[in-house]
Amino acid sequence: MISLVVVSHSRSLARAVVALARGTLGADGPHLEVAAGLDEETLGTDATAVAEAVVRADAASQGDGVLVLLDLGSAVLSAEMALELVDPQVAARVVLSSAPLVEGVVAASASAAAGADLQTCAREAEVAQRAKVEHLGHPAGADRQTPPAGVAVHPRQGPRSGTVGQPGTSPLLDPAGPPVRTVELPVLAEHGLHARPAARLVARAGEVAPDTTVLVHNRTSGRGPVDALSLSGVATLDARQGHVLVAQAQGPRAEEVLAALVELAAEGFGDLPPAEPLAEDPPVLSVAAEPGIPVTGSGLEAAVGPVVRLDVLPDPRAVPAEGAERERDRLRGAVDAAVARLEELAHRALDAVGRGEAEVFTAQATLLRDPEIAASATARVDAGSSAAAAWSEVVDEAAARFEELDDPYQRERALDVRSVGERVLRELLGLAEPEVAGEGVLVVDELDPGLALALDAARVRGVITRRGGSTGHGVLIASARGIPVLTGLGERADVADGTVVAFDQRTGRLDVDPAPEVRAEFEELVARRRAERERALRDAHVPALTRDHVRVRVKANVASLAVARAGACHGADGAGLVRTEAVFARWRQAPTVEQQVEVYAALADVFDPHDVTIRTWDAGADKPLAFLPAEEGPNPFLGARGLRAFAADPALLLDQLEAVCRVALDHPLRLLFPMVSTADDVHVARSLLDRAARRAGLPGPPSGLRVGIMVEVPAAALRIGTLAQELDFVSVGSNDLAQYVLAAERGNPALAPWSDPLEPAVLQLVRHVADHVPAGVGVSLCGAVASDPDLTGLLVGLGVDELSATASAVPMVKRALRAGSTGQYRELADRALAARGAQEVRELLGLAAPEDGPRRKSAALSARRAAGTAR
Amino acid sequence: MTTLTAFQAWLADCSAVIEQQAEHLTELDRAIGDGDHGTNMARGFRRCAELAEEEQFASIDAYLKKVGMTLVGTVGGASGPLYGTFFLRLAGPLSAAPDVDARPLAQALRAGVDGIVARGRAEVGDKTMYDAFAPALEAFESALAAGSGTAECLRAAAEAAARGRDGTEPLVARKGRASYLGERSAGHVDPGASSAVLILEAAARTLG
Repeated sequence: MISLVVVSHSRSLARAVVALARGTLGADGPHLEVAAGLDEETLGTDATAVAEAVVRADAASQGDGVLVLLDLGSAVLSAEMALELVDPQVAARVVLSSAPLVEGVVAASASAAAGADLQTCAREAEVAQRAKVEHLGHPAGADRQTPPAGVAVHPRQGPRSGTVGQPGTSPLLDPAGPPVRTVELPVLAEHGLHARPAARLVARAGEVAPDTTVLVHNRTSGRGPVDALSLSGVATLDARQGHVLVAQAQGPRAEEVLAALVELAAEGFGDLPPAEPLAEDPPVLSVAAEPGIPVTGSGLEAAVGPVVRLDVLPDPRAVPAEGAERERDRLRGAVDAAVARLEELAHRALDAVGRGEAEVFTAQATLLRDPEIAASATARVDAGSSAAAAWSEVVDEAAARFEELDDPYQRERALDVRSVGERVLRELLGLAEPEVAGEGVLVVDELDPGLALALDAARVRGVITRRGGSTGHGVLIASARGIPVLTGLGERADVADGTVVAFDQRTGRLDVDPAPEVRAEFEELVARRRAERERALRDAHVPALTRDHVRVRVKANVASLAVARAGACHGADGAGLVRTEAVFARWRQAPTVEQQVEVYAALADVFDPHDVTIRTWDAGADKPLAFLPAEEGPNPFLGARGLRAFAADPALLLDQLEAVCRVALDHPLRLLFPMVSTADDVHVARSLLDRAARRAGLPGPPSGLRVGIMVEVPAAALRIGTLAQELDFVSVGSNDLAQYVLAAERGNPALAPWSDPLEPAVLQLVRHVADHVPAGVGVSLCGAVASDPDLTGLLVGLGVDELSATASAVPMVKRALRAGSTGQYRELADRALAARGAQEVRELLGLAAPEDGPRRKSAALSARRAAGTAR
Repeated sequence: MTTLTAFQAWLADCSAVIEQQAEHLTELDRAIGDGDHGTNMARGFRRCAELAEEEQFASIDAYLKKVGMTLVGTVGGASGPLYGTFFLRLAGPLSAAPDVDARPLAQALRAGVDGIVARGRAEVGDKTMYDAFAPALEAFESALAAGSGTAECLRAAAEAAARGRDGTEPLVARKGRASYLGERSAGHVDPGASSAVLILEAAARTLG
């Protein structure tokens, strides 16, 4: 642990400061030495006494270093002189702090006790007065900070290594330069400071103040500082949601650049929507569900064809160097060409897919402009490498650093680095965009976004990847374009070129060199899906009637306004479930009543004349909302979720209910309470609704507003006759119901044998609900099974009279409904209820058992894409 | 030629004159500082004057180093490290010489004044002791270049220092405690420049 020396004119002052720090920390604090006053009474400082104190403190710190905190005037001169009096080796381990004495000693002691190193303690001391400055609301000018590097007479500084953005490298601000300004940048967005927000930070810093030095470190993780103009540096700060970054700027536009960064941070570095609703569509993860996207692929999630591959790059290390100057020019030219191409791709992606995807390319272009990468590559060229060899080495190193990061989402950004790396290499080697040799199923290591956008969908029938997660931008882009993708197959993807493969993205099935009859089967599957899809889309807007003319409404699950539009386009008979927590997931502050009124009314307009089901905030420790923090209990799924979360403080729920009441006055709305288990819960929900209605100035809830509860807790299902007595409808949340009935987490592949939603126990509860609701109470079902056309008949046969599905699944579910009569469906369901287990139910339905792994992965991916944050 | 005894006499003279002027120095300091300059200086130089009686010194430089360290440890205010540095640096060019003439003394004076600048980071016009030391050094070196002896050089230096001191009166302080006063520091002679003049005048009386 470091030691502290308190230098003051007054011995009693110094002792009092030490007592204050010790009082705060008890025995855990650092070793504190006092060098103050000439004697007990005489004010003054004595350099020799300071020197002696420093030597004692240094011995106590065992080499960890000494931080000297000073009061004023001669204390500074004496301390400086003291460092000349002690052994230079000791002096090298000492930092003199310009922090205010009291704050500095307390803050540095606390940091030291927490195990911080000398530089960190020095930094903490420097910023210790900020709390006071902020509290008193003094302007930014009062926050003028001198950086620790600037006050350190003998700062311990490692030599700046040539590697890119290595955590711990410390590019120094100029101690003799203009004042250094400091701000904190909270990381608000869900995925932290991943590549795109990092690129925005770098771009903003470069745009506002290219002539100003800006350093950023991650105060939470201790990573950095890094140069804010270095994307590879900033991205390796490993800044996740909730972390706090500290930016320091020194130069002519220090204040402007920090103000710009603060503004950017408030927007989650571009990942959070502006605070006004509907100014722009809420972010949609389901690009595929967006209307108006040219779908150039088959969209059938299945493909058959010979394996094709991309041309292979020659080994860049074998490229001979032709003189440093020539190679430098080449490198510069190649990088410029690649940047130009990426900017073009960004425009294309904006037109073809969406803003989120366009920014992937903008971020990649920014990555290429990274001065540190360029400097590292140039250094290697100067050392005799060819541009191609130098570039490929630097890129490999940068990618490796991303792969070391803890956050899986950020780890995937290594792909971005490799992707831009290859783009420049191709330029250097004089090769064009990757060529796909022939028509068929493309096998790649990972699917990079540029490739996914550039693929000729007429020739590439599908893509198989060896590596790469399902959240890769490339996979999302390909899916949006309707190109079937099967990801993460590992060695199973090592198939010789030209071998015929067939795969079904829905089941995860992959057949290599299938027998002629299997191949024919696949081709038939593709043809059938195409025909079905075309028919389904044609009839999507026609109400779905069973053969005996019973209407079953098929509604859409909605997580954003854009998804709502997609649902309406696909013929949904309204919204069966608006996940309000998903609609507002990226809001940092709770939306006001007015903002909610605007959003719910807009959703209702999209589905007009059909109704829209607003589910109240369904948050909990398993899916927390920024504006509704949940206490982490021992078992969040069995904790204060949904309605229960408002038992102590219903304020946010009342706001929401008031908005619903107001919108329901002139729109067809339904209201759905989640996580209801007892009759008392229903009573509480009802009373809150009455209160909210009165707040809206109404005598009671609007007459047109129909009220229901989610049936996801087995207790509610079993007692539905009692619970639903005063309700208009109930909605079975089949995902959670299955999970609670089977006591198995459905996201855990190891529990797959126990978490099948087709387990007869689950089906029996659904039937029980349908049989026992009071007359006139509707039974809806929302959950993954509602989106599967293979299960539609079964669900209707159990007694469900309304389904709420993923928007894009609506046409197929409607089509499935039309195939049979309610009698046939009832009979099918009766047989399913008599089955021994889920497997027998599947056989009954003519379904193969789901293959573990890929199907779950692809199902999870579609669920995420469709529903944003919903689990 | 100036001997160890002369240097010891210098410090005795300094101590006497500063003791005598302590109240005046404190007065000056009270106007623009914290009002302890006279007391601090008197305490430090008294200890220095006593050194010769307590201890045998082998050389001039050893003696001056001890004076420097004594000032550092006893003056208390900013003058401690500043004058301490002055005497410590003064010792450097005089190492091990039994006696000195004007030339090494000029080198010593330059080293001492440079030490003050390095320690206090002051410039001419900041209203500090450097405003007395800077012209003093210049005058000493000019006199030396003109072929003057030690006594004449020191007299020139002391006179230049006094003019420098008087020149601090209209200045606005930019260093030290006086700088907190800003414009209000103008209209007063700087106490540091005043004590510097006392020290240089004592030198002219004893080292020449």
